[in-house]
Amino acid sequence: MKFSSIGSRRIALIGLGVLLVAAMAYVVMRSGPLAPTRVTVVQALEGQFTPQLFGIGTVEARRSYLIGPTAAGRVRAVAVDVGDMVKAGQPLAEMDPVDLDERTAALDASVARAGSAMAAAEAQRRDAEARKDLAAVNARRYVELGRQNFISAGAVEAKLQEQASADALVAAADANLAAARQDQQRVAAERAGLRQQRANVRLLAPADGVVTSRDAEPGSTVVAGQAVLRVIEPSSLWVKVRLDQARSGGLAVGLPAQIVLRSSSGRPLTGKVTRVEALSDSVTEERVAQIGFDQLPAGLSVGELAEVTLSLPPTSKAVLLPNAAIKRRNAQTGVWVIDAGVLRFAPVRVGQASLDGQVQVLGGVQPGMTVVVHSEKEIGERSRITVVDTLAGR
Amino acid sequence: MGELGIRIEHLRKRYGEGDTAVDALKDVNMTVAPGEVVGLIGPSGSGKSTLLKCLGAVIEPTGGRMVLGGEAIYDDGWKIPDLRALRRDSIGFVFQAPYLIPFLDVTDNVALLPMLAGRPNAEARTRARELLKALDVDHRAGAQPSELSGGEQQRVSIARALANQPPVILADEPTAPLDSERALAVVRILNQMAVQYHTAVIVVTHDEKIIPTFKRLYHIRDGRTHEERGEGITL
Amino acid sequence: MISLAGRDILHSWSKFVLTGIGLGLLIGVTLTMAGVYRGMVDDARALLNNSGADLWVVQQDTQGPYAESSSLRDDGVRSVLGLPGVARAANVTYLTMQVRRASVSGAAPAGSAKDDVRAMVVGFEPGQPGEPGYLVAGRHITRSHYEAVADVRTGFTLGERIRIRRHDYTVVGLTRRMVSSGGDPMVFIPLKDAQEAQFLKDNDAIVNERVRTAANPSLNRPGVPGLLEAIQASQANNRNVNAILVQVQPGTDAEAVAEPVRRWKHLEAFTREQMEEILVAKLIATSAKQIGMFLVILAIVSAAIVAFIIYTMTLGKIREIAVLKLIGTRNRTIAGMILQQALGLGLIGFVVGKVAATFWAPIFPKYVLLEPGDAVRGLVAVVVICALASTLAIRVALKVDPAAAIGG
Repeated sequence: MKFSSIGSRRIALIGLGVLLVAAMAYVVMRSGPLAPTRVTVVQALEGQFTPQLFGIGTVEARRSYLIGPTAAGRVRAVAVDVGDMVKAGQPLAEMDPVDLDERTAALDASVARAGSAMAAAEAQRRDAEARKDLAAVNARRYVELGRQNFISAGAVEAKLQEQASADALVAAADANLAAARQDQQRVAAERAGLRQQRANVRLLAPADGVVTSRDAEPGSTVVAGQAVLRVIEPSSLWVKVRLDQARSGGLAVGLPAQIVLRSSSGRPLTGKVTRVEALSDSVTEERVAQIGFDQLPAGLSVGELAEVTLSLPPTSKAVLLPNAAIKRRNAQTGVWVIDAGVLRFAPVRVGQASLDGQVQVLGGVQPGMTVVVHSEKEIGERSRITVVDTLAGR
Repeated sequence: MGELGIRIEHLRKRYGEGDTAVDALKDVNMTVAPGEVVGLIGPSGSGKSTLLKCLGAVIEPTGGRMVLGGEAIYDDGWKIPDLRALRRDSIGFVFQAPYLIPFLDVTDNVALLPMLAGRPNAEARTRARELLKALDVDHRAGAQPSELSGGEQQRVSIARALANQPPVILADEPTAPLDSERALAVVRILNQMAVQYHTAVIVVTHDEKIIPTFKRLYHIRDGRTHEERGEGITL
Repeated sequence: MISLAGRDILHSWSKFVLTGIGLGLLIGVTLTMAGVYRGMVDDARALLNNSGADLWVVQQDTQGPYAESSSLRDDGVRSVLGLPGVARAANVTYLTMQVRRASVSGAAPAGSAKDDVRAMVVGFEPGQPGEPGYLVAGRHITRSHYEAVADVRTGFTLGERIRIRRHDYTVVGLTRRMVSSGGDPMVFIPLKDAQEAQFLKDNDAIVNERVRTAANPSLNRPGVPGLLEAIQASQANNRNVNAILVQVQPGTDAEAVAEPVRRWKHLEAFTREQMEEILVAKLIATSAKQIGMFLVILAIVSAAIVAFIIYTMTLGKIREIAVLKLIGTRNRTIAGMILQQALGLGLIGFVVGKVAATFWAPIFPKYVLLEPGDAVRGLVAVVVICALASTLAIRVALKVDPAAAIGG
């Protein structure tokens, strides 16, 4: 390697060395632990937004009916299938009456027998009455005769005793008659009850609706309370939505809702809050509300998931900041403010928040202040920062 | 002879001990005055190199006396504690090949010795340039040794030998690789420098071309020296 | 006096610079390895810092939730909140899993490497410990379901839809340096979604489970309508979390809060220092040893290279050294020249290595943290190694006999 002189070669090599050191210094200052932290900022502005509440819900039927027998039995016939529209009062299924008819006949016979028993008791009573009349007449006569001492006292007492017996017999016959009558009533009631049961064997639709499930086929045995068919009123489908308790402020009946069904996520539907449940779920910490559809879509299925967004009335004007700016330090909520080139932690109170990340800041920050939004790492009062336009996120 | 210059009396050097001992130098006597250039000739194996090494203070003689520049440096033992400084300050070496330091430029090659002796760099370089001028190579002062011709390199090495103004210069076959014209030129320069700087110069050689130029010659044979009058042809 | 070493370097500068670059790359690798270790420790610290917790409450007798798996009932957080000295407490779940990009067509791509990212999915409650402390883009999660905040190392962009188990999530915010102790980037989703992702099985398994339960006569009693549905609903439910993160009142000692948790709540609690020890000392220990070994080997190799190069250069100068010695150069000066050359080589190598390491560190798959302290230590080590490596050549130089310049 020939150079003109040592001097120029030395200069060239020193220049190379300086370049290398400069490169190292540049890299050390720009990245690595000594470099200043890059942040993005935003000016605090006043504004208002429409806060919204968000929750996940499932489509349910407001009114759904479980059609089943009131006593255990076997299903004899099912007249409808899933998807059929039914009218109120329409017979849907029939249970096997088993021995109901026979028992009814037996009770009919019992009723007849009770009637006969009553007739016999009546006859007995008439008989006892007649004897009582005779005994009374005799007793009077004998008492009269006894007073006139025509017959012995014993004979008078005997006749008096006969009269008493006859009275008693009448009372007994009365009682018999009453018993027979009650017996007849009892049996009649039993028969009426059995008839009622026989009527229950036929399962009728309680209201208009559509059959959603057929749970028992003819021949299967079901217990009391078990459903044979389930019917829902399709016009009563609504969305049961669950909202986080912490983020459900302002939930009220009548709020407009936007419903996005899992099956048609591209077409949001509109609705309204129809009911806010008084009972919340304390385990999942959620409040429950029912959202009615403005227009029921076709092809809705019970159990389908939906995302529901409720719109609250717009907030009043207040300072708005992106929620990425809100930080917690020790036990305080606040934001980092750049005040004349110096970083300062300003405690704030946070008001309502919108679903797209804006929050109301009440107190602590004035409009026009410069607030740190995004940062490369945690910052403190003594951090060196440089403001850039964007950090990442393309 | 004055007290300056170099005087050697009864110098002996024995290598080895006992049966294998070899007496390279048995009895060497030499005297060289300042400004004088003497030749030292002899067949190979006669002890020329050994004598040079003793004179150059790189090996220790076995006995005798060496007086250099008026000071006894060896008298049956070294009398100087720092031989290296002695070499640096009092003895100039000229070798068969120029042996310039390849990574120093010409000026620094010559200035190196004064710098090693502690002179400030500027003064050393000034002195170097003076010597280069005297030897007529100052136009190559900034060049690298590899850029010089053989003759120029040899002149630079002579300048280096003179840089610290030593009282004696030892030249070991300085003309061996040169043709007769250049060889005589080297001898001419040595004579000039010897006179100009009052330096005693011993030239070890067996170059027939230059032997006639010496006024005095020392023959060394079998470890002994023997003075002779030379032809002393004027250059 | 001029610098002989400097002149020699200037004279054969190409050899020096090339050797320096080679040595520099080796030193760069060494610095990078040290940076990998520091990065792992920093990953662990970042994990602990970013969670914002003073105390970690986990399953009893485990060292979770990062080093070991831990499972708690999620209502445990209520009793922890009631302890004195507790400012905030919240449930979190952690699960390392593959997160896919939901492609536009809706069907998940069949596991192609680019679309699959290994991430730690964190379930957190908004506004509570466990939420990312700072964002580099976007916003925090506002909806209770199906939104996510991802670390930039996942490669996801704002607005992208990603698939975790059976749901699609929209990325609404990006974070930086939110990584697990193993270096996997984090994806934050609402706690309920994370519980479902971690503990709920896929559709086939659920259907299978339902059939099995229905086939069990003790669970499927005809006389008790509704029993089977209730059991199946409880099976599809999950009420477990991996840990409770606790922030203590300012001025309270975390250990003072941890003690009652351990004693009375049948849970384990770790303070910040204990978690750091678990992560750094136990989790990283093996890697630390490996890296330590690498550093030693690299140091030895560097020393050997420097020694060899300087030795060769010295051997090439034997004749000049003999001449220098003969004409009166001190041994010290010659030794100094060799030492300076060795140090010069080392310095060139160090600068090249530091610059190279700084430039290629961001491209490394693992986080490389190059600390200035490490660079200083590296410089000192390079200087010492070069000085030692030069002793071989210096010995050779010192043994040269000046008489060799006077040829026979």
